[in-house]
Amino acid sequence: MIKQSQTLRALLPGDALTGGGTDVGNRAALSEIDASCRVPVLFFFLSGLAWLLAGTVLALVASIKLHTPGFLAGWEWLTFANVRTAHLNTVIYGFASQISVGVTIWLMCRLCRIPLVAPGLVTVANLFYNIGVTVGVGGILIGDSTAIEWLEMPRYATPILFISYALIAVWTIVTFRLRAERHLYVSQWYLLAAVLWFPWLYGTAQVMLLIEPVRGVVQAAVNWWFAHNVLGLWFTPIGLASIYYFIPKVIGRPIHSYYLSVLGFWSLALFYNWNGMHHLVGGPLPSWMITVSIVASVMMLIPVITVAINHHFTMLGHFGKLKHSPTLRFMVFGAVSYTLASLQGVASALRSVSEVTHFTHHTIAHAHLGMYAFFSMVMFGAMYYILPRITQREWPSNSLISLHFWGVALGIVLYVVPMSIMGFIQGTMLNDAAVRFLDVVQFTLPWLKLRTLAGLLLAAGHVAFVINVGWLLVRMFEPYRKPVVRILTGEAETVAAAKQP
Amino acid sequence: MSVIAFILLGSVVLLPAAALMALRWAASSGQFRCPDKAALLPFDEVEPVGLETDRILGGNRR
Amino acid sequence: MSYGPLLFLGILFTLATSWVGLILLPHRQMGALGQHTDTNTAAIYPAVRAGEAQQGAEHYRSLGCVYCHTQQVRPEGYGSDIERGWGRRRTVSRDYIQDKTVMLGTMRTGPDLTNIGERQADAAWHYRHLYNPQITSPGSIMPPHGFLFDVRVIGQAGRSTNALVLEGTFAPPAGQEVIPTRRAEQLVAYLRSLKSSGDLPEAPVKKEEAK
Repeated sequence: MIKQSQTLRALLPGDALTGGGTDVGNRAALSEIDASCRVPVLFFFLSGLAWLLAGTVLALVASIKLHTPGFLAGWEWLTFANVRTAHLNTVIYGFASQISVGVTIWLMCRLCRIPLVAPGLVTVANLFYNIGVTVGVGGILIGDSTAIEWLEMPRYATPILFISYALIAVWTIVTFRLRAERHLYVSQWYLLAAVLWFPWLYGTAQVMLLIEPVRGVVQAAVNWWFAHNVLGLWFTPIGLASIYYFIPKVIGRPIHSYYLSVLGFWSLALFYNWNGMHHLVGGPLPSWMITVSIVASVMMLIPVITVAINHHFTMLGHFGKLKHSPTLRFMVFGAVSYTLASLQGVASALRSVSEVTHFTHHTIAHAHLGMYAFFSMVMFGAMYYILPRITQREWPSNSLISLHFWGVALGIVLYVVPMSIMGFIQGTMLNDAAVRFLDVVQFTLPWLKLRTLAGLLLAAGHVAFVINVGWLLVRMFEPYRKPVVRILTGEAETVAAAKQP
Repeated sequence: MSVIAFILLGSVVLLPAAALMALRWAASSGQFRCPDKAALLPFDEVEPVGLETDRILGGNRR
Repeated sequence: MSYGPLLFLGILFTLATSWVGLILLPHRQMGALGQHTDTNTAAIYPAVRAGEAQQGAEHYRSLGCVYCHTQQVRPEGYGSDIERGWGRRRTVSRDYIQDKTVMLGTMRTGPDLTNIGERQADAAWHYRHLYNPQITSPGSIMPPHGFLFDVRVIGQAGRSTNALVLEGTFAPPAGQEVIPTRRAEQLVAYLRSLKSSGDLPEAPVKKEEAK
């Protein structure tokens, strides 16, 4: 271990290893863990961000097409349906899942207190993964989409993804078994659960829908069992694991109640996976299935409230720190959105609300509240914390950080709030048979244009972030100039002490 | 149909079996004896409770 | 108190329960649903689609129609599906047993298409609508599907019988005509085959409304 630390010191002249007195050993261990994650985590983050940019462009095209149907109408591979579907698949499988894996790897190593075992394996998984997403999204654009929501990637792409998921899951379990810290933190529960649940979900859905399709509306049941569980059992646990780690870590205070977090985990595990059928309220399935899902959706109040109490009470009295920490800003924004998205989800699952909001843009707004305002914001926050530590470089520009935060924060509020309201009115109009259908369509147009505007704000934020990350990477290859102790120890004054070796 | 039946039956047998094995392993290795201390796990001697670890914006020029 | 065993058991069992409850049991309940034969008329419902319409279903899938159009009619008194004339009865599990991919849909950017074959049986309407929705439905935000049509010079024999009747700004340049491709023909055959109003014991069509 000591030898490795010395190697690291040689690699990274002037890094935090020189930081302070008796802490050197522990600091070295921490840095060694971070450094061991560098290559695979960077790969996951960078390819994830490349897909984020692609997904943003696709989203803007889709958004414009919905209010201006003649836009780019000549190209068959750019129809609204193709672009919208390619957007969903790039941001879900390309962006969100890859950032999730990167964050999972780093958090697992940190909490297990061991350097990453066999980083090569994870890097290979990443390579496979990106090939899979590329083939899948390409397949969607050339018209091979399966038209099964969240599983549109054609049959020839998905086995590649499955293999990489399996590699990642196996790797996570291996790291977990080799851990130096025997006690488990709640984040590890969520992470371990997510990596165990997801390959099973994905494999089952693939077999039952694409390889050996079940008959009739059982397809819809499998579809929504899968699609809702991707959110509930893959993204949500990783998002919550991050919040449970980063908020205490940044503000330097343990979570409000560890017992509540235990209750939150188990109630989520018990109820979330029964929720899927609430996407089929009023549909041609036996009503017992839908009723079970509605009941489970309401039961979700238990994990949501426990998590909300825990996150928000931990923050109590520490809101001043939001000014200084980008990680905290994004995390708290995400935590608040998680509460809101969950409450909106519970409400929309009720039969009387679903009668109005089902089949409208309300659902689209809800999806973005969950996947973006909650999950993506948390992932951005995590990246702000992890990237400087694995690269041993400071964030180059504070202005770009602010631009990123305010661009996406305003953008997503401007997206979710009007679209939620619009969807509700749209649903009310649709349920009144006296209103002509085309009048409902015309009513949505100004709101859809507003959405394009919101999309531009989000895009600006993404570009700012990507520039900052690119700049950070450039610094990795520059000879070392400024020491990094500011972030790594919170001390600005020690800068001088750690000049060039 | 046969593949579905195979998966359905296979999973019903395999899942509890895997769970039981996991139970045996977890029990034998004696995990988590001190859940009360679990909340302190993100912290260590270098970054103890009370230390802010991400002061970047605004007041970093102390 | 030891959480380890609980953690692992729980992670595996919680998902297993919903999988058994929401996938395995429904599969047993609905997986073997068969066609229904009317005791009076000996009519079999739902009928098997003709080959051309089945091809069309593949185009419906490939073009992603499902992202804006549902294929499900909600029960009377729940939403306005039946009042809007989208169906004479709610749709039930049996309506979908012939579909290779069941495309219930979750979004009504456009109207429901469960019974579009009944509402709009005219093939020429469908061609013109697909070519450019503004011809038949001004104000629609459905994208034009010009790539499903060939624009070609009118031959020696004169205008083709299957050329689209287009007027004003939608008309092709003089001396040319717009012909549906094979894909357009199959897609329209599928759309015209969409009818889910057969009388079923579990979803009877109201007497006064049934023909």
